[in-house]
This record gives sequence, structure tokens and C-alpha cells, in this order.
Amino acid sequence: MSRLEAKKPSICSREPLPGGRAGASLAALRGLVASCYGPAGRLKQLHNGRGGPVAATSHSAALLAGLPVSHPVLKVLTAAVRSHVACFSDAGLFTAILCCNLVENVQRLGLTPTTVIRLNKHLLSLCTSYLKSEVCACRIPVDFGSTQILLSLVRSILTSKPACMLIAKEIDHISTLILRAFLLTIPENAQEHVILGKSVIVPLKGQRVIDSAVLPGILIEVSEVQLMKILPIKKSDSFKVAVFCVSLSGDLSDTGEGTLLVSYGVSLENAALDQLFNLGKQLVNDHVDLVLCQKVIHPSLKQFLRTHQIIAVDRIGVSLMEPLSKVTGTRPIGSLGSISPSSYGTVKDLCIAKFGCKHFFHLIPNKTTVCSLLLCNRNDTAWDELKLTCQTALHALQLTLKEPYVLLGGGCTETHLVAYIRNKTRNEPESILRGERCSQTELQLITEAFCSALESLAGSLEHDGGEVLTDGKYGHFWSVQANLPSAVNWPDLPSRCGCGLYSSQEELSWSFLRSARHPFPPQTCLSPEAKDSADTLTLDCFTAKLSGLQVAVETASLILDLSCVIEDTN
Amino acid sequence: MDCRVIKNRRHTGLQQLSSFAETGRTFLGPVKSSKFIIDEECHESVLISSAVRLLESLDLTSAVGQLLSEAMQAQNKTYRTGTSTLLFLVGAWSSAAEECLHLGVPISLIVSVMSEGLNSCIEEVESLQVPVHSVYDHIDSRETFSGLSVSLYPSLQIPSGTDLVQKEHDLKDVASQSLAFCRLSRRPVKSPQLFRLQARFEADENTSRTPQTVKNNLLADTRCRKSVLTHSRHFSRTDDHQWISKPGELLEQLSAAAPKTYRCSDLAELEVGLSHGDPSSMRLVAEAVWLQRQNAGLRRGSRAVLLPFDISRIFTCCLPGLPDTLSCVCPGYISVLSMSSATLIKELQNQPVRVVLVEGDLTESYRHLGFNKPTNIKTVSESVKVQQDSSEELWTDHVLQVLIKFNVNLVLARGNVSERLAEKCIDSKRLVIGSVHESVLQAFAEASGAVQVAYITHMNENCVGSGVSVTTWRSVPSDTVDGISRMTVVLKTEGINLVTVVLTSPVTAQMQTKEDRFWTCASRLYYALKEQKVFPGGGAVELLCLTHLQSLAGQSVNKGNQDCSGWLHNTSSWLASSAALYKPTVLKSLADGWHRYLSTLLRNTAVYSSDSEAATSVQRHLQNAADSGSPSSYILNEYSKLNSVILNSGISDKLEPIPRVYDVVTPKTEAWRRALDLVLLVLQTDSEIITGLAHTHRSSQESEGLLFL
Repeated sequence: MSRLEAKKPSICSREPLPGGRAGASLAALRGLVASCYGPAGRLKQLHNGRGGPVAATSHSAALLAGLPVSHPVLKVLTAAVRSHVACFSDAGLFTAILCCNLVENVQRLGLTPTTVIRLNKHLLSLCTSYLKSEVCACRIPVDFGSTQILLSLVRSILTSKPACMLIAKEIDHISTLILRAFLLTIPENAQEHVILGKSVIVPLKGQRVIDSAVLPGILIEVSEVQLMKILPIKKSDSFKVAVFCVSLSGDLSDTGEGTLLVSYGVSLENAALDQLFNLGKQLVNDHVDLVLCQKVIHPSLKQFLRTHQIIAVDRIGVSLMEPLSKVTGTRPIGSLGSISPSSYGTVKDLCIAKFGCKHFFHLIPNKTTVCSLLLCNRNDTAWDELKLTCQTALHALQLTLKEPYVLLGGGCTETHLVAYIRNKTRNEPESILRGERCSQTELQLITEAFCSALESLAGSLEHDGGEVLTDGKYGHFWSVQANLPSAVNWPDLPSRCGCGLYSSQEELSWSFLRSARHPFPPQTCLSPEAKDSADTLTLDCFTAKLSGLQVAVETASLILDLSCVIEDTN
Repeated sequence: MDCRVIKNRRHTGLQQLSSFAETGRTFLGPVKSSKFIIDEECHESVLISSAVRLLESLDLTSAVGQLLSEAMQAQNKTYRTGTSTLLFLVGAWSSAAEECLHLGVPISLIVSVMSEGLNSCIEEVESLQVPVHSVYDHIDSRETFSGLSVSLYPSLQIPSGTDLVQKEHDLKDVASQSLAFCRLSRRPVKSPQLFRLQARFEADENTSRTPQTVKNNLLADTRCRKSVLTHSRHFSRTDDHQWISKPGELLEQLSAAAPKTYRCSDLAELEVGLSHGDPSSMRLVAEAVWLQRQNAGLRRGSRAVLLPFDISRIFTCCLPGLPDTLSCVCPGYISVLSMSSATLIKELQNQPVRVVLVEGDLTESYRHLGFNKPTNIKTVSESVKVQQDSSEELWTDHVLQVLIKFNVNLVLARGNVSERLAEKCIDSKRLVIGSVHESVLQAFAEASGAVQVAYITHMNENCVGSGVSVTTWRSVPSDTVDGISRMTVVLKTEGINLVTVVLTSPVTAQMQTKEDRFWTCASRLYYALKEQKVFPGGGAVELLCLTHLQSLAGQSVNKGNQDCSGWLHNTSSWLASSAALYKPTVLKSLADGWHRYLSTLLRNTAVYSSDSEAATSVQRHLQNAADSGSPSSYILNEYSKLNSVILNSGISDKLEPIPRVYDVVTPKTEAWRRALDLVLLVLQTDSEIITGLAHTHRSSQESEGLLFL
């Protein structure tokens, strides 16, 4: 007799945010992401507590992917950040921290959500239109004629992830490699629509970072046993290539459900193998020099190809298929039937290379917009972090190519924006008040919440108990030691601002970040000579940070707008 | 699903690291004391004497423990040496980092000062590198061979001199068995004499040399081996030890072939120096190198590429139950078979045999990797008669037919072999050996012309190799477990690039240790020859690091220098400006790690009876080095006094000269970096995130200090 259990009613909790579990969880999440932020950020060890792999990371992608959260509010937040990171790679922690700060700051005010959302939106548009305008003093146009700014951008991204465990020399080496890898993906004769190639990151764990390298073309890892069977490569101007995405292992195609009856003496395996040999014969007749297969090639077919002087390499893996077909101009062959001649492609040269303890089959194509970044690091944990960081840097460079600007890093953009918004809302509130139908007080409260969210975001860069100052001229970020002895003339202490653009020799009136000060108009329009000192600057990706700002404000609005959470407990 | 955040209080991670590392303290240095690890539940125990094996046996399920074992395995996988150094330094430096934390140094500063400090050390010790050049030069020229009788070098200094004599007796018995093993009667350490340094211009490539003359020379060599050591450059060079520090200078001096310049130029010296208290393993390595050179000589003119020392073509065969003295090195492949094939092997002896190499299992059901066998296929047949033969029998018959057709008498398979097939093959005078390592198969493929096949039934004439000789070697005491008597067989072909090292030990529990030690020695020599440089060993480099760090710490106090490190280079953080304040403290803690390393090293070599005595000795040398004005030249001077351990004055009263100790370069510095990287990684970690646990699985007591998201 089956027993039926009544369904439990859903639980509906109203106003999830003030007090309650959501508030505490949100604070915990903020603490977690804020402690990872910046070059001095702390690392997190992620593991399952049962002997699974351990990751030590401060990268938002790794952190949030391994952080299963239970509360719906946090789920909304992490999902938003993760989708931002999926699109832009960079500025994930920035988005997460800013969003947490905004939610926490605003919900303390107790204003109606509609007003808050409207005003936040307005402040956001103030920020974005300023950042996109010509007068903006915290963005630098990128000159692709020199590598200075691009290198600084890559270096800033690399230094912001301490778990890569790089020393200064290694950071220089990897930054150069990343930039070179990026430049190799740009086609030489660029038309109206530039289609970028791809840099494939090839793992080589256990070796020294300094052994990393960039090579044009594709590296396919082959085992030593397989390598020994590869024929000595003959000299030729070009090699005809066939790429298979279907398995050539001699499997029977899916037999479906039920049982297949085969009469005695009939061998399906042999039939499948015969089919493969027919395919092999066609390849021989078509004078193919190289056969590459995503999956497995039957050893007997390999042997057949070998006797006909065809090089066969299998188990290439799905990730290399796209760049491979791009480089060779082949169309991956997906059937064992006859092959149309248009599927074949060519490569310019082949060779076998050994790096560390691994052997690689190196394909050098005619048109090189695909390159391989051979990435080394001492151990798996550090390698994983380095790989993520390199991907971020490569992506940031691509985004920079699209929108040729970079933002000042090291907290300076945030503090500068704060100065700009404070000044704007204080001096020209009428336009906002008229448009948004709200009171002056409401505007001041929201502005303060918004600005202090940005300020504490910038303050999150400090992890060792230092103090943060801003100046009264540029609105930049300055870091000083805490509890300075009063005898010291403290404004003289910081030597350069966070991004490295300004030095402290000028007359700047410093004040503590988050302390009350009179709003001032920060100097707009970056002076041309400031841009020349770009090789020592800390820079951020423009597109990623701008999107991060938007995602953070919009997600915060969404969370603040939640009025009840309905949970199905069944 | 939930995630918990554990806030680390008082850096438990670093404490865990130091306690893990403490267990491996005794493995540092040449004298290693073994440990028994006992499983309390199943009362099994293992004997271990290396840091890697120790960590394998420990329960390292905590996150920090896993990171430690990951670092150790990465080092072991890449270099096979330097793991005990790594483990010890992890311990020493995690205490150092903790000390800095107690003193209130900001974490970011500890990280950047320590990593730049170590980097500076690694740059500094480059000046101590000893170039290893041309140990192989002119090995093939006739000059070298004819000059053998006068070119004498000190033999390996094996502490227990009796060991050698015993071995010679033993080997003579064995050697009489077949010509193939006459080389074994060579004195084991003889080989290095071939690799004498000669000036470059003496090169006299003798292309007409045949293998025969090589053999003749060898015999001559063997006869002369008892000559007295008189005209050794090694001994007459006592007046002037000028060390080379700059590569450019080196080349100059090399071309001038100045006898005054110091470098490690003969293989014997290098091997002794790299044996690190394990002469018996290194002796085997030396022989393996010698045999490999021989083979290379035989293959000269063919397509073989000459590598300095091809470690991948060395194979070990462990024979527990035999006395230690039977350990030896043979060309070809040695395998242990059951006595049942004895008669077959006797028949196959004295004739070249045709061979097939199988790259997978040799069974009916074996399919290559990546082949998905459908499960829902059923074979039906009309008549009852044919069904009597199972498919395996049919397959076995088919394989036998193929073997008969191609006249193959030997099958080597990488995987398992069907028992039924093996029996049938023995009946038809064919030998099948399974579980053969892939490098062995590859060596046979190269030497015999065979092509590895996946399915023996698909092979053709091109796949068959020829010219393999099969000989019995000796019987092996029967395994106490199953009582089957076994024998060993030797397979080889002319010029095969494969050397088997037979390791024997009367104690089965020691077998693993012996094999590990052999490979450690082999890797050390491999890296020394590959990189063509070595460090002076016995603590010389570490002492220089120690003095260097101390002088760095002193400098930053005096000058308050501003050159900041790591990411602090380009940053304007307050940390950069206050770095000078903390730098001496951090560098001193880092140096303390070296200090502990050196005193433990001395303590473990049993020269000093107490830790404090060892520490005092380190301190004394440190003071001397600082006083001398140039620490590196002081260290080199001390080192060239031919003491085995630089800081060691206790055993210099012995009359015979003590050979120099060398160490490998990159594996060592990488071990340092890995150790520090691990410590800094743990130091920078502030939370542990445990994923994938449900609320209910933990008691309230456990969840103390956890945060829920």
C-alpha cells in the first residue's frame, strides 16, 4: 500500500533584508570578497573537506564558481557577478563588493525602494556619462603605437592576483608573453571587421614560470609512445590536412535499445574496421599528409596510414578543434562516408618540440592568427590561478582593442568618481530633483550611500591596517601607515597616489577617506604629460569596469526591490 | 548546499605546516634514518626512508596537508630529488613566517620581502656554480682509450672497503656463465676512467674504430686497473684552486686548457660528489652510464641521437631475497619468469629470435583505449557443432597461427597476457612475456626493427623484429608467498639502447627504498650532466645564502634602502615606504631558516652530538665568512680543503682525501622556491571555504567558528 504525504506549504518570508539571515549572509559574503581584493588581497582555500582538490585563490571566477550559496538574495548576487565575469573576465570582485556595499548602505536608510532605485539609476548614469565623456580625468586613451599602456594594464592584472606566486622578474616575463600572444591573434591586413584569432593556453605544470613561451601555431600534446610512432617528417612547402571530429576507433554506431542478434561468423567489428580502411584508402588517394582526429583512431588504421606515409595524431580534444579548423582551413569531418575534397586544409610546416617533460606536435599554419601560450608554474594550485589571470588579461586586451581606453587603477577611479558625484549633486541638484521627483534630503542621503559604497570599495584595497587618504585637487587615492606619530607631517608621507599618476610634491590637501569634507570639483581633463608616465601606472580595463559598475548598481536595485521570498520546502 | 567559512585564528595553517615538516627532519643530509610507519587498524607496517614516501603514508586530508603533498609530488615528479630539502624548508620557513607575524610585520610585507630575499639568494649562489663540461668529450677517441693506463683517477671512496672485494668474488662466478656478462667482472667503478678530461685540441676523431677495438681496449683497461694512483691531476693540483665564477671567463680558460682552473671535469669525481652518502646506488648509476655510452658507440653511424645520459632508457628490476652484493647492471632487458619456461628458454638460447611487440593486453577481450564495446549484441548460430569452441579458443588458435606464419618465437606485451595463450605458446616453443614497460618495448622496437601493434591478429611482416637473443641468467629464490620457483631471463639485441639495473636486497621491505635511492642518484647525475653545472655541496650554498641574507639585512638597516620588491615595486602603498623598517626582521627570519637547515644537516651527519654544538659550528663559520670580507671566496676556500661537508672538521684526520660533495642546481633552487611559495601561499590565506556540505552533517560543536552563506 502506498502512502501519500501531504505537500508542505511554501514558506513566504516578507522583507528578507533588514536583520535576519540574509543580512548576516550578505555581510559574510562582503567580508569574503572584500578580503580578496587587490594585490595585497588574502587568499581563500576552497575544498570539499573530504580530501578533494584544494584551490588557493583570490580570483572571482574561481571563488564564486566554488561557492554554493543557499540564500536567494546571495544567489541573485553571485549569479549576476558570475555572468559579468563570463562576459568580461575582469572586475568580478569589484562588482561583487560594490553591490554588497550598495545594498547594505541603502537598506540602512529605510527609504522606499522606488525612490532608491530611481536615484541610484540616476547616479549611475552620471558616472557612466562622465566616464565616457572627453573631460573624464580618470581614463587614458590607448595608443596602440606603443606597448607602454598595454603592458601596464597586463601587469596590473597579474599583480592583483597574489596566488599566482610570481616575483617581479616573472611578472615582467609573463606580461610580455601575454601581450605578444595577443598581438599574434590580430590579423595582419585588417579590414573593416577585424576577426581576432585565438591564443590557446597550453599547460606545462611543474616547470619554472620563466620557461613559459609563446609560439605561433598550435601545439598538440602527444605521449612519448605516440611520438615514437610518428614518422620522420619530410620536408615540404605545405602539408595537406584532414581533421576528423568523429571517432575513428572502429566503434559500432549507436545500436540503440534492445538486443542485436548477429549470426555466427559475422563480425561487426571487422565490418567497422573495413569501413575505416576504405576511409584510409580515400585519404591515401587524396594525397593527404596529416590526419588529425579529435577522438581515437583505431591502431590498425593508424598502422595502415603509417605505411602510406601519412602522419596520424589522435586524441586532440574538443578545445583545440575550433582553432585547428581556423588555422588549417579545414572543415572537421563528421562522417565515415566519402570525404568531400573541400574539407581538406593545409599547414605550412610541422615539427616536434619538447618542453619540460612533455612532447608536442607543432603545427605552423600559413596565416597565423592562432598562437599557443605555453604556461608554466611550479604547482597545480598556482598554475590554475595563473591560467585564470592570463585569460583575464588576454580578454582585457581584446576589450581594450574594441574601446581604446583604460581606467586609472589602484582605487583612484573610485575616489575620483566620488568627488565628482558629491560635487555634482551638491552644486547642481535642481536638474535631478526636477527629473526624479524627490526631496533634497533624499537625494543627499542616497548620494552619500552611493559614494560611501564606492569609497569603502576603494578602502578594501588596504588589508594590512593602513589608512587611506584622498586629496582635494584630483580626488585620487593615497595610502599611508596607520597611527602615524603626530610629530610627523603626515601629508608628506605618501609618495605617489594609488595609480601612480601623481606624486605628492604638489600642494594637495589630504583628508581621510570616509571623513566629512566639503565637496570640491576634482580637476577634469587629464594633462597630456601625465599620460607619458604610463609605464609605471596601475591600470584597469575600461569596458570591464564600466560594465561592473552597471551590473553592481542594477543588481543592488533588484535586491533592494525584493519584498518577499517564497521557498518551496518540499 | 552550503558553504562554510572557517576563520583562521593565529594562523593554524602555518602551524600545521611546521608540524608536518617536523616528521621529515631526519631525512635531511646523507645519513638517513629509516622510519617504520605502522597502521594501527590493520597492523601493517612500512619501512620508509625518504620524505616522499613519508608523506605518502601520512594522513594529509586537511587542506594545508594536501597543498604540501601536492608541492612534494610536483617536485618529485619533475626532479625526483630535493624533496627532503623542500620538506625541511617548508617547516623552517613557516616557523619563520609565524615569527614575523608575532612581531607585527604586515603579511604583504612578509610575502614580498621573503620572496625577493630568496630570489636574491638564488642569484647570489650562481657564483658558486661549478661548471661540468666535456666530461664526455673525446670519450670515443682512441687517445682516451690508449691513454687509459696512465690516466688514473681516485676511485669512489666507499667507506666500507670490504664491500667491493666481496662483490668481485661474487661476480666472477656469475661472469663465467656467458660472454654477455664478462663486463660485469669489471671493477664497478672503472667506467668513469673513460671520461677523462682532455684538452679540446687533443680531439682526434677516429672514424675507423670498430666495436672490436673498443672491446680490446676495454680488456686492456680491465687489466691495468690495479695501477697505482700516482699521476693524477686531481692530486697534484693542491697548490692552486682557482674557482671560476663567470661564464665568460670560463670559456677563455677552457680554451687555454689551463690546469689551474677548477672545474668538475671528470665523471668519476662528479659521481662521487653526487652520491650523497649512497655510494652503492651511485656505483650502479655509473655503470649504467658507462654501458649506455658503450651502446651509443656501437650504434654510432646509425640514426641514434646521443644524449648525455638517457634516463628513460634505464630500467630497474627488483629481486628481493638475494644478497645486496648481487646488484648489478646489464645491457638489455631482464625479466623474472616462472621456472616452467626454463626448458623453452634453453631451446631458444644461442639463436636469434624473431619478436613481436604488443602495446596493450594480449587477451581476446582486449580492445584499444577509446573503443566502446556494445553490450547488447548477441551471436546466434544455426548449427550446434561450431558452438563448442568458445571465442577465446578460436582467438588463441588464430594468434598461434599468426605467430607460426611469421615464425615469431618471442612476444612482449605491455599489458596482461591470456594464460591459455601463454600455455599454448610454451607448448609450441614460443615465449610470451607480459607487463613489459613501454620504454622497454620502444627500445626493442628501435633495435630490432619491430613495430608495436595493438592487435596481434592484424599484424604483418613489417611488424616483426629480429635478432633478439634470449639467455637465462640465474634462478631466483622462490617467493615465500606462493612458493613458485622463478628464474630470470635476459633479452637483448645488438646495440639495444636499454640498460637494466638489477637491484637485490635480502630484506623485502627495503626493496622500495633501494629503488628510490637508485633513481634519486640517477636523477642527480642526469640533471648535473644536463645542466652542465653543479653546486658545491655539503652546505656551501646554504651557508652563502645565510651570509648573503645577513648582509642584506644589515644593508637595509644602514641605508634604509628603498628598493622594494614584488608588487611593491610599482605600488604607492604605504607598505612600500615602510618596507625598510621591517625588512631586516623578515630577512633575519628567512636566514634563521637556513641556519636551522645547516645545523640539522650537521647534526644528521652525526659529526656533532648535539644541536647546540652544530649550531655553534654554523655560527663560527658564519662569523669567519663575514669577517673575511668576501663570503663566497671564504666558502670556496673552506670547500676546497677537500672536506666532504664544508662545515665539518671532525673527520679530516683520516689520511685518504675525502671526495668533494656536489649538488644539482635547478632541482635544488626549485625546491627552495617551492618551499617558500607554499609557505607564502598558506600565509596569505585567511579563510578556508568548505563546499558541498549540508547543515545537518555537522554537530553544533564542530560548526563553531563557521559562517554560513
